[in-house]
Amino acid sequence: MTVLHDQARTAGRLTPGPPGERRRRQRTPWRLVNYLLAFAVVALYLLPLLFLLNTALKRPGEFSADPVGLTDGLALGNFVDAWTQGNFGALVANSVLYAVVCAAVGTVLSVLIAFPVARNYVRWSRPLRVLFVLSLFLPNAIVAQFQLVLKLGLYDTRLGYMLLMTAGLGVGPLLVMGYLRSLPRELDEAAAMDGCGYFRFVWTFVFPLCKPVLGAVFILQVIGVWNDIIGATIYLASPELRTISLGLFTFYGEYGNNQWELLAAATLIVAAPLILLYVFTQRLFISGAIAGSLK
Amino acid sequence: MNPFATSRVGRVGPWLGIAPGLLLFLTFALIPAVAVVGMSFTDISGMPNVPWTWVGLDNYRRFFSAGSVAANLDVVNRTLIFALSVTIILNVLALLLAVLLSGRLRGAALYRSIVFMPVVLGVTIVGLIWSLVFNPTGGPAASLWSSFGSSSSFLGDPKLAFTLIIFVQIWAAIGTTMMIYHAGLMAIPSDLYEAARVDGANAWHKLRHVTIPMVAPAITANMVISIVGSLQTYQIIYVLTGDRPTTSVLALKVFSIGFGTSEQGYAAAVSMIQFVLVAVIALVLLSYLRRRETQL
Repeated sequence: MTVLHDQARTAGRLTPGPPGERRRRQRTPWRLVNYLLAFAVVALYLLPLLFLLNTALKRPGEFSADPVGLTDGLALGNFVDAWTQGNFGALVANSVLYAVVCAAVGTVLSVLIAFPVARNYVRWSRPLRVLFVLSLFLPNAIVAQFQLVLKLGLYDTRLGYMLLMTAGLGVGPLLVMGYLRSLPRELDEAAAMDGCGYFRFVWTFVFPLCKPVLGAVFILQVIGVWNDIIGATIYLASPELRTISLGLFTFYGEYGNNQWELLAAATLIVAAPLILLYVFTQRLFISGAIAGSLK
Repeated sequence: MNPFATSRVGRVGPWLGIAPGLLLFLTFALIPAVAVVGMSFTDISGMPNVPWTWVGLDNYRRFFSAGSVAANLDVVNRTLIFALSVTIILNVLALLLAVLLSGRLRGAALYRSIVFMPVVLGVTIVGLIWSLVFNPTGGPAASLWSSFGSSSSFLGDPKLAFTLIIFVQIWAAIGTTMMIYHAGLMAIPSDLYEAARVDGANAWHKLRHVTIPMVAPAITANMVISIVGSLQTYQIIYVLTGDRPTTSVLALKVFSIGFGTSEQGYAAAVSMIQFVLVAVIALVLLSYLRRRETQL
């Protein structure tokens, strides 16, 4: 992955456009058309978000009076009302717990699987790799999972939900395997020669060296758990176990017809952590996620 | 060979490490996926402690029975239309977008990350944002429509709803596809464009004879990922309209049968029908694209 990525970067640096065109300057009309197209695309993505923000800042009732107009005031009270009426405090706490635990456990397990398999240190490395690729194409097993969880007495428990969400590791081990190919095998041999134990090596070398891809795996899993709606609907019946996405969806059912100011505020509350996380980590996880998926 | 195999821990260590993750994966992902086959021959329900029996092929017969076959084939059809239109439009637009936002424009990286944002936001938020935009009582889409002297109930309109769902799905998913194409584009050596330019190629020629053949592996990957993904996705439909006769797809049927009416044996059979569809389409597409790749 790094190899590909580095190539990509140098290629990008050497070619600000098809060569020669730099000196010639690209013909201006085309350049202008390109910019206009790019701005249209960006608008298609930013305007809905800005409209959401605009709605969230409207006073109650203002939306139905004038849905599209700019808000007069800054009705920040909507956020407070949405937070208390939707009981978002408890929901956010649940979601943070689920997301962090599943992502942390999932990431560690991904490395523990990926390292020996990528290096062929165990028998059946190849079948294992195929198994994880195939897992992306398995039949839709929600009903069988449900029966299993019911039998195990894990229905409507935090543990059951977290086990399920962690088991959907999916691409995690594959991403790490792809990344490990760029790490030299000689390192393992040298460490083993110096008497470094297996787990100490994984902990002190493999984990730190895989940091970029681990960041990607962790964040992808956080996003997956935070946004999960089907699993939460099926397995979390008790209100005190529910997640923020499920809470938001319930909120939509209650307020979707007449109180869009509140609903927009609620949506932004749920989106805000994701947007922040994205802004701070996007470089890391876009490169990690994408390069890995090409493998 | 495992260089740590000189000590006992070094020999069993790799398996010790693999065991918990593999066990979790086998228990909660692989075994259920296999068990669905068995479940599809039973009348098991979602209620705990209700006895169940083997019913043979009854569930499959029911799917194709005279009373329901028309509605069910409608759903199969819609699943195919959804998957094909999403896959084709998504890939064409994503490739064009990747070319457009490929670094020649100032701020291209920023534009790309803005397009990628819905992937991070997830279905619930994306669904609510578009429900708001398509709000029939005066959302921005309704204002736009009325400025053309027309009106619509958008997601409430049985004819229009499904088209809008396809649009939202493409809007939300294009970030990933575009990024994969972007990575493919960045790996194309620039001398190829130089050579094409010397030969007098215009923009279309360069796209057709340099870019597309060079990103062929990315096209294969993206097409397979999107067809398999869109044959299986239903969360966005669930959030936008719920399970309606005019918008439902197979995967949503599995969910609403399994957890609405709780007929999980029947839901398992629908899962299997969906799986066969996914497997056949994915394999045919994969072998076709692999052959094309070498011809391009």
